[in-house]
Amino acid sequence: MIFVTVGSMFPFDRLIRAMDAFAATRSSCKIAGDCAAGEHAAGERAEEIVAQIGAGGYQPAHMRWVRGYSRADYLRAVLGCDLVVAHAGMGSVITAGEYGKPIVLLPRRAAFGEHNNDHQADTAAWLGGRPGIHVAQGEDALGACIAAARAGIRAGDGKGGDGALRAIDRAAPPEFLARLRAFALGAAAPEFPAGPPVRAARADSR
Amino acid sequence: MAKTKVMAACSDGGHWVQMRRILPAFAGMEICYVGTAPAADVDLDAGPGGGPGGRAARYHRVRNVSRRDPLGFTVILWQMARILRAERPDVIVTTGAAPGLVALAMGKILLRSRTVWIDSIANTERLSMSGRLARSVADAWLVQWEHLSAPEGPRFWGAVL
Repeated sequence: MIFVTVGSMFPFDRLIRAMDAFAATRSSCKIAGDCAAGEHAAGERAEEIVAQIGAGGYQPAHMRWVRGYSRADYLRAVLGCDLVVAHAGMGSVITAGEYGKPIVLLPRRAAFGEHNNDHQADTAAWLGGRPGIHVAQGEDALGACIAAARAGIRAGDGKGGDGALRAIDRAAPPEFLARLRAFALGAAAPEFPAGPPVRAARADSR
Repeated sequence: MAKTKVMAACSDGGHWVQMRRILPAFAGMEICYVGTAPAADVDLDAGPGGGPGGRAARYHRVRNVSRRDPLGFTVILWQMARILRAERPDVIVTTGAAPGLVALAMGKILLRSRTVWIDSIANTERLSMSGRLARSVADAWLVQWEHLSAPEGPRFWGAVL
């Protein structure tokens, strides 16, 4: 199953339209059980595609869709999929990573009204090429990225020796956690000498 | 002995996913949550006394304001004031965006809480707009990319990945 998600904030019709068109080309695979596009081995059924479309105006005709999920259902969808296709949002990237799923990213563009700025392009530039992360610069490149991600699934992407991507840890690195903890418990932060006034930390909180 | 009380306040989506990765920093402390999702994650740490058979994690939902929803700021100021008076946190930490900024600002004004701003790891090239605005209300004003830090702030203490 391919899971498509636009995140929790804004619609992303450009991604949903493109994935709906992609899903349409898979119809013959679904019906006949083989694949004219050559993406599946003989007899292998085409995968289902499910999309979370948010407040999008475009309603897909060729794939199952919902507007939003509870967090539990969203995680279940990620867990149950083979591949995530998403906007280049860190929530999508981190969640796919924590579940060991490959992800194809299409960055939102401010010029299309898809976000307030182009930071998703910056995010994608940083992440592209890492194991299990495939960046489509435009919606026309989604098909090729999906094929590459699927080839990665088969060939053994990432570092897992068993051919599967290794899931990342679910907590930040311990050094960062330690600094945050020390601050919460009342450690001074001399790096911020001009900071705003604070209440004294509880005397018994160390 | 009273435990340190932490409030973790942020938007849903990527901001919340990043917040979940730093929550272990506050293990053992009293903790409550402010977010924009309809409901809390079922597996949230409820702090001392919580967990199976104990009380559920305290979660407060607020309006998902952004620069596209300026009217919502009136609503969230009211919501946040109520929440802060009820919870009275010692520490308020946020991974952004605008709702988190409101939590820091009001917590600083109303309670003089210790405040932490952590700009999103997604911002690889520049501090976010709300991150810039957080300077005056964050005791710890942090970015997740060292090249974005400066001697006068924001500072780099690490990243969620």
